[in-house]
Amino acid sequence: MKSSIGRGRTLDEAVDAALIELQESRRNVDVKILSETPEETVVEVAVIDQDAPSMGMATAPVNGKAEIARGLVEGLLKHMGVRAQVTVRAGTEPITLDISGRDLGGLIGWRGETLRALQSVTNVMVGKHLAEGERVIVDVERYRQRREHTVREIAMRAARQVKMTGDAITLDAMQPFERRAIHLALEGDPDVTSSSIGEEPERRVVVGPRKAADG
Amino acid sequence: MAGRAAERIRRAIAMVNSVADEAGDEEITPTEIAEAIRDCLELGEVDDVPNVRRYLGEALDAVSDGMPADFVAMTLYAALGALREGSR
Repeated sequence: MKSSIGRGRTLDEAVDAALIELQESRRNVDVKILSETPEETVVEVAVIDQDAPSMGMATAPVNGKAEIARGLVEGLLKHMGVRAQVTVRAGTEPITLDISGRDLGGLIGWRGETLRALQSVTNVMVGKHLAEGERVIVDVERYRQRREHTVREIAMRAARQVKMTGDAITLDAMQPFERRAIHLALEGDPDVTSSSIGEEPERRVVVGPRKAADG
Repeated sequence: MAGRAAERIRRAIAMVNSVADEAGDEEITPTEIAEAIRDCLELGEVDDVPNVRRYLGEALDAVSDGMPADFVAMTLYAALGALREGSR
């Protein structure tokens, strides 16, 4: 995976420096903060491997379940009159199907609602081929992946602010997969902790300082 | 208006999705999901549009039968879609 180290006075400057080096746009990268002081922020910016060979290609190993899921979603989209390509994302667990094509905004829907519905239908269709607890993730134009990266950045920013002020921050209401991404992003941070409050669909993540007793 | 029904169905869907997606930050029981669906059924507006009550009833049955969360979600999305179609 192509990556670059970026340095700058702020996080944005550091990321921009790395993006220039990589000649990539922000939506195609994953950002990891290596160090942060009031004077300098150092980040590692890695390009999301967009060109990874899909399992639909002859060179990749064929996963029977993934191929069944891919075929079913392709058929479903055909019935819906949507012209799009369905590929299996390589090396991912759980099985992830990528749908790509032109003007697929309608397939994502309001706050990803249509995409989520499509994923539910897919899992119902493929269910009998999957083991208990196994699921298929459906992504359209990497919407889900981009959202995960965005919320991870939000989490990092919130964590920095919490460390500076010592006050807890309540984030906007988010979907379960987004909240999960935040919890995972912060679980290794010794100084902050994350939890959720409220009821669906208004459930929000709270990022706060980790007390000594929290471990 | 159908807005209240849509809001309640979305709430039920969000709860089911939370179970399916496992955010790992809450414990939602089938009873709570069933309660959220019953909240939708209480609204008279679900009778204004064909099939909405039927889909909600099927979703409720699916919860009591212990069907997978994705199946319940799919049925609730069907109710939401019918409501949206009927409100046009």
